[in-house]
This record gives sequence, C-alpha cells and structure tokens, in this order.
Amino acid sequence: MNESLNFLIGLAMGLNLLALGSSRLPAVIRAMSLQGMALGLMPLLMEDHFDWRVSLVAVATVAGKGFVIPMLLRRAMRAAQIDREMEPFIGFVPSLLLGAGGTIAAVALARQLPLLPEHAGSLLVPGALASVLTGFVLLIGRAKAISQVCGYLILENGIYLFGLLLIKSTPLLVEAGILLDLTVGVFVIGIIVDRIQRAFDSLDTRKLTTLRE
Amino acid sequence: MILILDVLLHLAIWLLLAPLLPGIINKVKAWVAGRRGPPVLQLYYDLAKLWRKGVVLSTLASPGFVIGPAVGWIAVLGAAMLLPLGPAGAVLSFRGDVLLMVYLLALARFCTAWAAMETGSAFEGMGAAREVSYAVLTEAAIIAAVLSLSVQSGSTSLVAMLAPAAGAGAMLLAAGLFTVLLAENCRVPFDDPNTHLELTMIHEVMVLDHSGPPLAVILHGAAIKLLFFAVLLTEAVLPLGKLSPAAAAGVLLAGVMVVTVGVGLVESLLARLAFRRVPLLLTTAFLLCLFALLMAWKGGAE
Amino acid sequence: MTPGALLLLAAGALMAGIVSGPWFARSWLTFTLAGAIAGLAAALSVLFGAADWEWWSAFSLGGELVHLRLDGVSALFLALLCVVGGAGAVYAREYWSEETYPASAPRGHLWWSGLVLSMGLVLVSSNGLHFLIGWELFTVCAYFLITLDRQRREVRAAGWLYLVASHTGTVFLFAFFSTLAARTGSWDLHPMQDQAALTPLFWLALAGFGVKAGVFPLHVWLPSAHANAPSHVSAILSGVAIKMGIYGIVRFSGWLPVPAEAGGVVIGIGATSALLGIAFAFAQNDLKRLLAYCSVENIGVILIGVGGALLAVTNGDAPWGRLALAGALLHVWNHGAFKALLFFGAGSVLHATGTREMSKLGGLWRTMPWTTGLFLLGSVAVSSLPPLNGFVSEWLVYLGLFDAATSKGTAAWAAMPAAIMLAMAGAIAMASFAKAGAMIFLGSPRTRAAEQAHECGNFMRAPMLALAGVCVVIGLAPILIWPLVTRAVGSWRAVEIAPEVPAPLITLGLVHVALTILVATAAAWLWRKAHATDLRRSPTWDCGYAMPAVRMQYTSASFAGIVSGWFRWVLQPERKLRRPHGNFPAEAIRLERVPETVLERIIGPVSVAIMRGSTSVRRLQHGRLQFYILYLVVGLIGLGVLVMLGGAQ
Repeated sequence: MNESLNFLIGLAMGLNLLALGSSRLPAVIRAMSLQGMALGLMPLLMEDHFDWRVSLVAVATVAGKGFVIPMLLRRAMRAAQIDREMEPFIGFVPSLLLGAGGTIAAVALARQLPLLPEHAGSLLVPGALASVLTGFVLLIGRAKAISQVCGYLILENGIYLFGLLLIKSTPLLVEAGILLDLTVGVFVIGIIVDRIQRAFDSLDTRKLTTLRE
Repeated sequence: MILILDVLLHLAIWLLLAPLLPGIINKVKAWVAGRRGPPVLQLYYDLAKLWRKGVVLSTLASPGFVIGPAVGWIAVLGAAMLLPLGPAGAVLSFRGDVLLMVYLLALARFCTAWAAMETGSAFEGMGAAREVSYAVLTEAAIIAAVLSLSVQSGSTSLVAMLAPAAGAGAMLLAAGLFTVLLAENCRVPFDDPNTHLELTMIHEVMVLDHSGPPLAVILHGAAIKLLFFAVLLTEAVLPLGKLSPAAAAGVLLAGVMVVTVGVGLVESLLARLAFRRVPLLLTTAFLLCLFALLMAWKGGAE
Repeated sequence: MTPGALLLLAAGALMAGIVSGPWFARSWLTFTLAGAIAGLAAALSVLFGAADWEWWSAFSLGGELVHLRLDGVSALFLALLCVVGGAGAVYAREYWSEETYPASAPRGHLWWSGLVLSMGLVLVSSNGLHFLIGWELFTVCAYFLITLDRQRREVRAAGWLYLVASHTGTVFLFAFFSTLAARTGSWDLHPMQDQAALTPLFWLALAGFGVKAGVFPLHVWLPSAHANAPSHVSAILSGVAIKMGIYGIVRFSGWLPVPAEAGGVVIGIGATSALLGIAFAFAQNDLKRLLAYCSVENIGVILIGVGGALLAVTNGDAPWGRLALAGALLHVWNHGAFKALLFFGAGSVLHATGTREMSKLGGLWRTMPWTTGLFLLGSVAVSSLPPLNGFVSEWLVYLGLFDAATSKGTAAWAAMPAAIMLAMAGAIAMASFAKAGAMIFLGSPRTRAAEQAHECGNFMRAPMLALAGVCVVIGLAPILIWPLVTRAVGSWRAVEIAPEVPAPLITLGLVHVALTILVATAAAWLWRKAHATDLRRSPTWDCGYAMPAVRMQYTSASFAGIVSGWFRWVLQPERKLRRPHGNFPAEAIRLERVPETVLERIIGPVSVAIMRGSTSVRRLQHGRLQFYILYLVVGLIGLGVLVMLGGAQ
C-alpha cells in the first residue's frame, strides 16, 4: 500500500527531473502528463475501501491531467506553430542540479516536519515540495509561454500532493473544482497563445515585456 | 600453486573473452539493420593482423607514444583483476580495493590522453580534451555508485560489496551504471565507434596515429574495459552472492550478454548526441547513482 | 644524540648559513644542508622514538620562558621542512646562482636559511608569544624571498599582496593567541581539551591559519606569489609554507576543545577548496599558476581528512577519523614532495626557455629528457594515480570517508558529498596535469625559445631526483612511513589510542610494486615489439592533412575549454571574440583569460569601497587649526553627554 504509493511519488519525482532536463517541449508535456496520471492514481491507493466519489475524482484527474490538458497544449503548439526547443534562461544542467538538490533537501526537510504518524514514512511531503520547486524552476528558467504553462501545471501537481495529505478532511468537490478550473485555464491559455502568436508573431516571453503600457 | 592457477584462470577469461563483446555488439547492430555483419570473432582477426604489422611513428612522438598504451593496458587489466568474477572471486581482495580499481581506470585514461597528445595533432588534442573532461562527471557517478554499494553492504572491498543485491536503488543504479558504461567505453550516444568524422569523436580520434602492435594493445584494452563495466554492472545489480556457484556463473554470463546486447540495441536505435548535450546526460547518470546512494543510505537507516 | 642536541646543531648551522650566506655561497650550502640534515635527524628520532622531546629553559624571551617541544605532529612537519629546505638550497645553487643574479643571489641565501630557521621555530615553540614571533619572522623571510627579483613590477605586486594577506591572517592569530593567553592566564601552549570555555577560539585559529594555508576564498595571495617567486621559493612556499597553516589547524584542533560543527565546516571548506581550486588550476595558461592553484586543491584534500578526524571526535572517537587524519598528514608529506618536484621542474623549464606560458612551449622532451621524465612522475603523483604516493594518501582519506558513510550516522551527510567532490577534483587534477605535461613537453615547439631549450644541470637535477625518490618510495612501500604517520596521529589529541594498522597498507604496497614491475615489463615488451618489426617515421598523419603547422596544435585553453565552461559561474573568464566575416575573412580572434576572480571581482571592489569610505573621512583632516579646535570641543561635549547619560542610569 504505502510501498506502491511511494513508488508512484518516486516516479513523479523522477518525472520532475526529466521535465527539468529535457530540451524539447513535447518531452516536458509528456513528463507532465505522466506525472498527472501517477498522481491521479494515488487517491485510489490511499483509500482503504472502495469509494465511488474518490474513484470518480481519480478517473477525472487521470483523464484531465493525463489526456485533456496535454492534448490542449499540443493543439496550441500546433496551432501557433511553436518551435519545440525550450530556450532556457537557466541551463539544463544547472536546473537539473537545482531540482536534484531540491529533492534531496525536501526529503531531509520532511523528516524535520511535525507530520501525522501515518504520513511519517511516506514521500508525500517531499514529493509535493520537490514538485513545487520544479514548477518554480521551470516558471523562472524557461522563456516560452507554453513551457511556463507546463511549469505551472507541475507546480499545481505539487499542491495536489499536499492536498492528498488532507484527503480525509477536504471535500472532494473542492478537488474536482480545482481540476475543472485548471482544464478551463489551460483551454483559455491555448486560445490566448494562438491569439498572441497571430498578433505579435512571437511567443517569447522576453519579447512580451515590450507590451507594458 | 592454486594462486597461480587462479591468476591464470582470471587472466585467460579477461584476455580471451574480452574481444568477443565488440563482435557481439556489431552482430546485434547488423541484425537490427538486417545485414549479415562481420563475424563475431572479427576483433580477434584484427588484433592478430595488427600484431604482425609494422609501426609508423610520428616524427614528433616520444617513447611515451608506445609506452603509454602498454601502461594503460596493464592498468585496465589490473582493475579487472580486482573485480570478482562471480563464483571465481577476485585475484586479490583487500579493504579499499574499490578505490584502487577506480584510480587504475584513471591511470589508464591519463596514459591514453598522454599518448594522444604526443603527436601534436589538433584532432587528437580535441579527443583527449573530451576524454578527460567527460571523465570528471563519470568519475563522480562511479564514486557515487560504489559509495552506494559500500553503504549497502557496509564494506569497502569489492568482493563483499558486489555479493548482495543493490536493494531498493537497483534500478537507478543499473540505469546510472549503464550510462557510465556507454560514456566510458565511448559508445553511442556519447561517441560513435563507426564514424570517421574526426571532429565528433572521442576515443577513436585519440588513437588516429597509432598503428601496429600499440594499436592492437589499445583495442584490446578497450575491449577489456567494456567487459569490465559489463561485469561490474551485472554484479552490482544482481545478488550473485546468494546463488550457488554454477547458477551465479550462469547469471553473470547472462547478465553480461544482456548488457552487451543492450549496448548493441542502443547503438542501433539511438543517434549520437550533440556534444553540448553530453554533460546533461552524464549529469543524469550521476544523479541516478546519487539517488541510488541515498536510497541505500535511507534503506539501511530504518 | 638527543633530539635537543640535533636541533641545537641544526639551529647553529642555519645561523651560520644566515651569516655566511651573503658572502660564501659554497659554505652557505654546506651549512644549510647540515642544518637540514640535523633537523631531519631530530624529527626522525622523535618520530621513531616513543617519547616527545620537551625543553623548558630558564632563558626568557619577551618576558616569557622559552619552552620548546617536538612531538609527533610537529616532527612530521619538521621533517618535511628539512627535506624541502635542503633540496631547495641545492637547487638554488644553480637555478639562482651568483653568476646570473649577482645582486639577489646572496640575499637569497640569507633569507632562505632564515625562512627554514623561522619555520622550524614555529614548529618547535610551545609558547604563544614565541609562536607569533616565529610566525612573523617566517612571513617576512618569505616576503623577501618572493621579491628576490624585485626589478619586475609584478613581482613587487605579488610580494605586497602576500604580505598584506598574511598579515590579515596574523591579525586573527594575534586575537587567537592573546584571547587564549587571557583565558588561560599564560602564554604557554599545551593540550587543554578540558577547558570548554576555549571552544569558540577554534574559529579564530581556522581563519588565521586558513589564510596561510590558502583555503579557497582566502587563497587570493597564493597564485601570484607562487607564480612570480623564483621556482625554488615557490617550491618551499607550496611544499612547506602553506602547510604551516595546516600545522596550526591540526595542532590547535588537537590541543583545544573543538566545537561540534567544526568537523562539518572543515570538511566543507576542504571539499570546496579541492573542487574550485583545481577548476581554477585547469583553466590556467601559466604553468606556475596552474601549480599554485593545484596547491589550493591539495590543501582542500588535506582539510577533508582533518575535517573527517574532527567529525569523528564529535562522533565518539570513531576509528575512521584516525584513518582520515593519517591520510591528511601523509598527504601533507606527499604534497610537499611532489609539488616541490613539480615546481623544480617548472623552474627547469623556465630556466631553459624563459617563459611560463604553456602555449609558448611544446616539444621539450627532446631537449630536456630528465625534466620531462621527472615532471611526468610528479604529474602522476599529484593526480593521485597509483602506484605513486599521492594515491596512498588520498586512498586513506577516501577510506575514512567511506567508513564514515557506512557508519550511517550524521557524519555520512558530510562524508558522502566530500567523497564525490574529492573524486571530481581528482579527475580534474588528472586532466590538468595531462594538459600541463602535454603542452610543455609533447608535440612540436611552439616558439623559438622552446626550440632552443637546454637540459638543467646536476645541481638542479639532483634535488628533483631526490624528491622523485621520496614519491616512489612512499608509493611503493607506504608501510615504511606508516609508523611515522601513526606516531603523529597518536600525538594529535592527548587521548592516546594506539592506531592499529587498519588499512591493509602492506597489500597496497605490494600491489603497487607488482604494478610497477608489470608496467615496466609490458612497456619494454611493447617497445621491443614495435621496434622489432619495420618501424617507420613520418609526419603526424592527422587524417591526411599534408602540412601540419606548429600553430595548429591544440592549446592549453582549448584543452581546458569544456571544463572551464562548466565552471564559468565561478571562473568568470574574460572573453574577446571577433568572428570571421564575409567570403574572405581577414582575421578572427578568440581570446579567453581566467582572471584572479576572487581577488579582482570580490576583494578588489570591496577594498576600493573601503578606501573610498576612508578617503571621505580623511577630508576632515585639512590642516585648519580652527576646525581642529572645533573637533575637540565637539568631542568633549559628546563625551560629556555620554557621561551624563551613563550617570543617569
């Protein structure tokens, strides 16, 4: 039970590093969607007995994060004819090292935190911290608007992991709502990206600074 | 007497079997590409041919040009002697021999780089620079890997370190060591042993000016190094110490075969990386070994 | 003879050397060698004997009774000092001879004997005040040796920088020794681990001695001083003088109580110095700067070992601490031997060609076979490759770290990163010396000067051979020097734990011997085989390029390019790039230079800011009497206010 949960979180941590280290947008999107699917399965593992609402959310998460959102992103990439290279501000090796250092620090830090005894052995908190950190590194260190979206989504995955700690007390409706918001958000971004591309011929956030005033 | 027999047995295995591996890799590549390919024993023929040939020396080369390959060959062979061969054990085992092994490989690298620089050729300088630079990352990965084995087994002697399985981090360690194997032996995606474009090569370009017996020694040393890493990888991941001698020998052989075929498949299916991507992949290998180390450390603490 | 008598003999001989140095070169050499041999004998008799040598004298100096002591730790350093001091004296006889340097050579004799004597004084004195006096004398002697060739501007600048940096360190040492004296009530130095109140003093000692040792951010004086000093001076600076900093750290971490964090901090400093020091070394184009930065790395290796020992102290005196310390102390010795050898080799190259720029050398093996061979031997040793001595000591340090890691305590968190960084530093060291050796000795000569090089004479060759012998002997038979090292480890802290031989050094030594024999056999065999069949000489093939030119050879900067790229964030190289343009490009340039980053980017701007602040204060001093009286009045009023406020409480 805990073993397979930890395995999934370990997988998610590995995918974080993959997202940090890859130089192509499709690879990052793939890592992100795999991570979303892994996270989606977790509520099923955490519940001792079958609960139809939990499984509904799990299915919705897997579908949303694993298929719908990546599809929207890929469509946006195609529509706006975005080049698949990442254009990093922070190089790939430094971001990878940052991510790895962050992951190790998160594991070390989580041991110091006063957690519930049932969460003590699990990697939930370190996984969440590492994903949030990865999201931030991607948000700060990549130039393209689409990669920023990916960074944001990975960050959200981290927050979702935190949310799993409270799965017993948070109404699942909230989770479902967040998921819906996300999907709509990515959908909207897809449209905006297309519009920006048509209006300015570029999606480089560096160039968007000229839009101020 | 038994000791001498033991040494001879190990020597025979390392010296005679090593040139098989490149042959198998080439066979796998040919098979994937749908060709017949060169015979598995091709390297033996090449070595025999080179050994009989004369030597052309650069006018600039000092005696180090010939001595370097000899020293490098002995160093690689020495490292191989320290590595246990499954049930046959190692020729010599003592506390801390794992570090001697790592540094013997470094000695071999120093000799190859030195011999390459002898010719004053820019190509060979380029290859030597790449070889020693990428070694910085592979050495970090190797030390992280052996540290994880050492933490796992509580020992710093190779025989004891390689007997148990690598435990929780086995998959990570396997992936990390396999990448290191590819880099250290200059296989795709780090280097392409088949290419003749000097600007993109590492190991092949360093031996451009060698010929005759010294070249044979270099090629044979490279084959031993490949076998060495294949054995190391297999023993690090699989719990050979827990099996009966016959089973262990079989598993070891199978493991080496799997690694070799894996190298062949990688070589057939992947393209060589752009040079600016190489550090990224090596860093990944290092991180894999590092996480294996952390898992070994954590696994033992609980 | 007792150690005391031998030391007296050594001191007398060195005094005679100081007196005779400026006038009688030959007798100076005799005296200095005699002093070195007597000192070595004293050190060895203590190291091989069981008892420490201690001497209380009724004679007082500066109001303090002279108290001398020679125990395991100081004897180990004294032995190294005597070996390098003697070898350097012989080397200087030809390298900095009266014929070539009639003005500075006599001065050099005087300061050389003075330097050896004052460092010896630091090592044997067991009184804080006398330690400081010795320390000052040694700093000043070294300053005059660095600036022997004082006509050159960069030499004066290097000497000045050295003097300023050393005195910044000495300020900390003054604070350290005076606080120690104030808290204990006496200047006398002896083991006092039980006085817990002295614990914070360790940080003062670490800072003060760290400057002299040249640990990473405090190393700013080291490269220019080592590069610009005459090579025999660089050898003793790098081989022994910076080890005095290590001596201080080892000595006072053994005698004083250490804070719990000390181990981790020292390991961290050591690992940083090792990795960044060698990264800087690899990027250098100046041979002697490369060697100097490599000293930063080796100091880092030593400190990793010392840090491991300190870590063990806070972890219930774990045995791996002793192992790491043994490695560190042996590395002090080894580094002294091979770095002096390499600096002698560099001096020999400099002597023959007049340049330290590696990109202006090349192909020297033909004209300088001895130097080539000995430099190669030193390179193998400094890259800590088997079967030479560098590997033995690094192996011991590694074993300590590995054992600390397998102990799975908190110590592992420091030991694991340190081991990995040590491995990376080792790999870069190997790369640096592959580069240095190849650029200088291999290929074809890049300039006329390199073409017309000549081999050094016997006076320069003999000390190099002796030091190479030391490297080989420690490498092949580490068991010979092990008793000395354990003796030193045993007297590090008063808690005597007989350090058994935990490391299978005998096996390692035998393996090294076997390796040497095999290597020699294989080399000879391949050599004969290659020459038995028809051997032809032809120009470098170079993929069929018919006209290889000298300038086409790979240069030192391009060799280091990949790794310098990884460390660009700390190296901060200065670039000059002009790309080729058009169909018939005229000229394209790409220059890259690694500056003294810490000095030029951090310490320089900070000192300028301080200077600016101080100059603005100086504006108050303008020579107008009326204003001075005003200052007085303001000051008085200020004091009055202060007193009133204080009285009100």
